[in-house]
Amino acid sequence: MMKHYKHQIQTILLGLLLLVMALLCWFHPEQLYSDSERRVLAGAPELSWEEIRSGDYMRDFEAYTLDQFPGRDGFRRLKAVSALELFRQLDNNGLYSAMGYTSKLEYPMHQNMMDHAAGRFQRIWDLYLKDSGGPVWLSIIPDKNCWLAEESGRLSLDYDQFIQTFRSLAGEEMTYIDITPCLSLEDYYRTDTHWRQESISDVAQTLAAAMGRELNGEYETVTLEEPFYGVYYGQSALPLLPDRLSYLTNETLENCTLTSYDTGKPVDKEIYDLSQAGSRDPYELFLSGSDALQVLENPNADTDRELIIFRDSFASSLVPLLAEGWSSIVLVDIRYVDPAMLGAFIDFHGQDVLFLYSTLLLNNSLGLR
Amino acid sequence: MVFSSIPFLYYYLPAVLAVYFLVPRQGKNLILLLASLFFYGWGEPACLPLMVLSVAQGYVFGLAMEKSKQQRWKKLWLLLTLACSLGALLWFKYAGFFVGSFAAFTGIPVPALKIALPIGISFYTFQIMSYSVDVYWGKTAAQKNPIHLAAYVSMFPQLIAGPIVRYTDIARQLERRTHSWEKLSLGIRRFLLGLGKKVLIANQLGALCGQYQSLHEPSVLFCWLYACAFTLQIYFDFSGYSDMAIGLGRMLGFDFTENFHYPYVSRSVTEFWRRWHISLGSWFRDYVYIPLGGNRVSRGKWLRNILVVWMLTGFWHGAAWNFVLWGLWYGLLLLGEKLLWGRGLEGRPVLSRVYVMLAVIFGFVLFNAASLSDALDCMSGMLGLGGLPLCSGEALYYLRSYAVVLILAVVGATPLPARAFRRLGERFEGVFTLLEPVGLALILLLSTAYLVDGSFNPFLYFRF
Repeated sequence: MMKHYKHQIQTILLGLLLLVMALLCWFHPEQLYSDSERRVLAGAPELSWEEIRSGDYMRDFEAYTLDQFPGRDGFRRLKAVSALELFRQLDNNGLYSAMGYTSKLEYPMHQNMMDHAAGRFQRIWDLYLKDSGGPVWLSIIPDKNCWLAEESGRLSLDYDQFIQTFRSLAGEEMTYIDITPCLSLEDYYRTDTHWRQESISDVAQTLAAAMGRELNGEYETVTLEEPFYGVYYGQSALPLLPDRLSYLTNETLENCTLTSYDTGKPVDKEIYDLSQAGSRDPYELFLSGSDALQVLENPNADTDRELIIFRDSFASSLVPLLAEGWSSIVLVDIRYVDPAMLGAFIDFHGQDVLFLYSTLLLNNSLGLR
Repeated sequence: MVFSSIPFLYYYLPAVLAVYFLVPRQGKNLILLLASLFFYGWGEPACLPLMVLSVAQGYVFGLAMEKSKQQRWKKLWLLLTLACSLGALLWFKYAGFFVGSFAAFTGIPVPALKIALPIGISFYTFQIMSYSVDVYWGKTAAQKNPIHLAAYVSMFPQLIAGPIVRYTDIARQLERRTHSWEKLSLGIRRFLLGLGKKVLIANQLGALCGQYQSLHEPSVLFCWLYACAFTLQIYFDFSGYSDMAIGLGRMLGFDFTENFHYPYVSRSVTEFWRRWHISLGSWFRDYVYIPLGGNRVSRGKWLRNILVVWMLTGFWHGAAWNFVLWGLWYGLLLLGEKLLWGRGLEGRPVLSRVYVMLAVIFGFVLFNAASLSDALDCMSGMLGLGGLPLCSGEALYYLRSYAVVLILAVVGATPLPARAFRRLGERFEGVFTLLEPVGLALILLLSTAYLVDGSFNPFLYFRF
């Protein structure tokens, strides 16, 4: 009799659980975007005979059910916590937390990606810089795995070897500026890939000094009240504490202007776009995000020297700190613009040129045009 | 559609169970058939007509055999149904392989055949053939009701990955079966345990095996790690799927035969094959080995019978030479045990188990290799012959990262956990009554979490 009740209770309980979950799946309102994952979610596929016959409908339906699963973020968190705590895995989908920081494994060194990036830089050299006559520098920003991965027993790049390899690929035309000694783990956000602007004024000074400019480096630090949940917060799905986002400002910077040529026409933008503070990616506060082509002009500069920076998103928070040293800084992101088009917007005539890229981008460089 | 997917768990299954239990007994097989056709069509809509035709020919020739008074007519219908079943299997699964092998051996340029493999064709073809042969042998009466026969062949719990259910085993249940709280409860338990085996263990081991494919620093340790992980993955994957199939069958009132019985504790390869994919092994025994004469023939013919059966067993798993060699590997080991070293293993539990596991692990390296050269590379790496370092940082990292999963898998592949749970259940029956549904609910929720996160979710036996 006891067994009979046991079977009855077990069936009813588990059947109810299945039913409730199923009803939630069927009637859960559709969401368009996942803030935590920073991506558009799959919607319900369109039902048509052609879609069914090809099998596309079924595949899209499965993607839809995964993306629109009720409590998706909670289930992702359950998975992440159980992978790391229950199964004691060292990473979850390549993401790991150690020493209070969260990061993504960057391993192994992708020689083909480095070749690709070096090839893209060479193309810019051949198109514009060879005949321009100005000095060209290269600096590589190590990502935070440099201080975190090996230290915490995770797979790690050999950063010295990486930098040496890329320097030799880039050629002797570029003078290398080593900024690694200026950096430490604390200079990066705990939940994001990027570095903290308030911690990298020494990096700016090192770069400027190497390029023959001296910076005052005195700023006022403004810390935003909104919590900053970096890109790894959503990706890892772990219950992480948010970062705080600060920016540095002074009188020089307040008088600078930023113009974006993302659409081909000049558009005024903010050096610090505070409206981004509560957005999906608050790091876009710096230079209003990464655009294909931006110009930062400093009307109070004590020089008419100009700087062109080929860059990734790490430069967004660094460049304001370099503003003092040049009359204008042109920022080019060749992920968003074909270098062949740059001649229509930039007159290369001997300006200082800096290639400033992170190891993350150089090791995953397919996006470079 | 696979069982370990959100569409199955939370869309298809609740809907099918609800309708199935709402309709009266007479309509249940029709619901089962329609649900099964939908299930199959969901994954392979283009292959649905092939399965329907296969069932139809099995039905027609089965009836024809039963109605034939003369043996030669019976035989003719049998040969025709076998020709239809085997013809479809040969064409869809093996034609490309034969054409490719012919071109490779002769050097004659023959255009490659690119034929899509219908999911589960090996399973449902074998079910139809066993039905036809059993009707021919008079072991069972031909099924008069086409819905019953179609429901048997296409029954979604066992349609795409087995176990290979014999018609004779469930013929009575097709027409009259009972449903009870106990069957439902035990079915749900079995299904959820299988789901956990598949999603929480096999998929994670699969991810580890995937690392081997993109290996940056090869080493002897990583070769072993991969070989052991795959050996465990395929067990948890396939036995987990079989558990889910058996559990679903039980929920629907059917008793399917067991397909696995802790094969990795075997003390001989002979015993291993009594515990591994039992429904396939017994199918080949009953429908190939014994009709060929089994062991009641001359020694030469017996040797031939064994090698033929094992070559076919390997070939059943896939149209590639590595599967043929994998089957022959077991054929040779079985012969070795019968003729040479079988007695030497008796009374040596440790040595015999080490021998079986080594045979199985090396066998699965061959089984899972994309090519023979890949298999040889991995095996030579395992034996330290490839000039690889013993260890690498990468190998140690993944060993540490997957240590808990590997330990759980090793222990879970033995009868120890089940035995321990049974004993505890007997001792603390009240507590277990409460805890069991909680534990099962946790498995469902955790598996759901792994599925929602879009983790690695292949199903190895789909290709068969």
